[in-house]
Amino acid sequence: MVKAAARETTATAPRGPAAAPVMRRLRRRFRGSGSGYVLVLPAMLAAIAFLYVPMALSAYWSFTDFNGLLPPRWVGLANYRELAADPLFLQAVRNTAVFVLLAQGIGPVLGLASAALLNNKLRFRGLFRTAYFIPVMTSLVVVATIWKMLLNSNGLVNVIFGYLHLPTTSWLSNPSTALPSVIAASVWQGFGFETVIFLAAMQAIPREYYEAAMVDGANAWGRFRHVTLPGLRRTIIFVYVIGIIQASQVFDQVFVMTQGGPIESTNTVVNELINRFNSLQLGQASAIAYLLAVVLAFVSFVQIRVFERRD
Amino acid sequence: MDRRQFLRRSGAALAVSGASGLLAACGASSPTPAASSSGQNRTPVTITVWDYYGSSTPVKPALAGFKNRYPWITVNYQGLDWDTISTKFTVAVSSGSAPDMATLDMTWIPTYASTGLLMDLSKVSGGMLNGKPIRQQYSGGGLNAMTYQGHYVTMLFDEDCYALYYRRDLFEKKGISVPTNWSEMRAAAKALAQDTNGDGKADKYLMEIDPDTFHYASYLFQNGGAILDPANSKAVFNSPQGVQALEMYKGFLDDGTGIYWGPGQGDRIAGLNSGTVAMFEDGPYYMGIMKDGAPNLAGKWAIATAPYSRKPGSYLGGTGLSIPANAAHADAAWTLIQYLLEPRNSVGVATYSGAAPGLSAALQSPRVQKPDPYFGGQDTWKVWLPTMASATHYPYVRQWNNIDRAIADGVSAALLGKKTPQQALDDAAAQVDGRLR
Repeated sequence: MVKAAARETTATAPRGPAAAPVMRRLRRRFRGSGSGYVLVLPAMLAAIAFLYVPMALSAYWSFTDFNGLLPPRWVGLANYRELAADPLFLQAVRNTAVFVLLAQGIGPVLGLASAALLNNKLRFRGLFRTAYFIPVMTSLVVVATIWKMLLNSNGLVNVIFGYLHLPTTSWLSNPSTALPSVIAASVWQGFGFETVIFLAAMQAIPREYYEAAMVDGANAWGRFRHVTLPGLRRTIIFVYVIGIIQASQVFDQVFVMTQGGPIESTNTVVNELINRFNSLQLGQASAIAYLLAVVLAFVSFVQIRVFERRD
Repeated sequence: MDRRQFLRRSGAALAVSGASGLLAACGASSPTPAASSSGQNRTPVTITVWDYYGSSTPVKPALAGFKNRYPWITVNYQGLDWDTISTKFTVAVSSGSAPDMATLDMTWIPTYASTGLLMDLSKVSGGMLNGKPIRQQYSGGGLNAMTYQGHYVTMLFDEDCYALYYRRDLFEKKGISVPTNWSEMRAAAKALAQDTNGDGKADKYLMEIDPDTFHYASYLFQNGGAILDPANSKAVFNSPQGVQALEMYKGFLDDGTGIYWGPGQGDRIAGLNSGTVAMFEDGPYYMGIMKDGAPNLAGKWAIATAPYSRKPGSYLGGTGLSIPANAAHADAAWTLIQYLLEPRNSVGVATYSGAAPGLSAALQSPRVQKPDPYFGGQDTWKVWLPTMASATHYPYVRQWNNIDRAIADGVSAALLGKKTPQQALDDAAAQVDGRLR
């Protein structure tokens, strides 16, 4: 009797007006896809454990004074305020901005130019494509070490400059030339990637467009400007979004070539983050990481919106 | 190349010639009464050891003898590079996965000790090392470097301090006396420097000027200065002694007898081989690098106490054997440290790594103190011993990394002519005071 009453109560229990449709919708959505969720579960758990939880912890640490051993002490926005007034961090921000502007001003343009050349029927085209892409496949540390040797006082660059009666300097010891030297090495290493991406996109542009442009009397520049560039719009967004994110996180080249010196002239945001980490200032290191992430997310958002609007 | 760079590359750099013949002798060991472990817990235990020495490590070869004597202690030896240990150590300790023992650069000790990352070795040792009081087995400078707030936080394994390396053949040829003070050193540099391409600037046989805290601190100490006040609460390296020291150091560049050796200069060994550098200051570890990298210069170089203004002085660094604060097997780790610091094993620091043992008995061993054919038969340890005794370690403050960086930036700015020495040091001191607050 009691069981029957309970069954009746359960069956007729009020569940709220929207509960039933929501449950039905959820059941419908997940019906038949259970095995899919089981398959993605390990990856989801790994992402939660190794990405989202550390990100959340890091976000918390950015509001604390934390040295990695003693319990974090809540300091609110103090880390962010200190960074905003810290001349070393501000110098690192300036250096990173210069790096991004120059590397992204030169690299993609070189990539586009070389892709345009390689898109023509050249002799040894395959050889050139391979040659441009080899630095991309080479470890950044190896590239930086080679450039360090090329740029040292008795290196090949100074030998060539001397032969041409051009002024020589100790490129990586001179605060005025150290950052441009690191940028040069980075552009050399990276533009092959942009070349390959642009080349693939160019080859996807239908030939008919070019033929139509030629019929309309467009010369080579006209075809490039009015057919190739519009056809590359989405590729350009991709190259710049990825490029700016990578350039803003520059570290390996700086670490190998200059370690941030001389006199902080090549210190970058990520190098500064590592410095704070090594100094056991984990709170400030986390704050730097979040500032960088927020700025990059904002820049990427703006880039994509601007290009979408033009589309 | 400074000691940091050397340790970064030590996997490839330090194959000290002739060491192999000594390996067997060092590796062989037998139980000694002082180290016997009759009172120890013999429950089988595995300890993890992190070591940054690279292929020239004196730690790894000693482990076979350790296993023979302490069969119940298994050592999980992990060779890591210098940079890796410096970044991993903090994370490992804070996450409870610390090794039981690690070789740590003495320049990291100020930060680690003041942050509580290191175990108090006074407790685990009872103040004794292999049956003798620790204080009797190290130099005064070494003991200071091992001590934080009255407790031992590390055991000095190899010691680093700076002396003057100079081209003995050129000194003899030009009749230059080995300098003992700053003015003699400047005069020697003037007598050595040569302009070989006729452009009016000396380009050969120069004094190497390194823009780092190691070198500046050594000059500062030689002039009676200090980095921080006794309470470690305020920068004092911009005192008149500090400014004079930097002016003296910069003087080599101003009169064209020195060469600025920044990151873009390449490896020093190339400068030695080309004859660009005829004088530089560095630690005992560099003897091994010279033998390996410049064998053609054998017999041409010698080492002397670094010339000074008021008193002999040098920065003091090296490698410490440390137990992390939350090590799982501190007793077994201490047993290993004691074993490594037996004089016969500690000698391995010189024979394997070409560096100076921290332990006085090892440093005074006839296997270490002997004429060195590379340096013209000079017993170089007669220079290193007093240098170590007068060397000073960096201040033990949590902010040491930032202080080191501020000083190095200031020194670079002055040497490159971006600021006057006074201005550069004042700016650096202001930064340091801000950090200390």
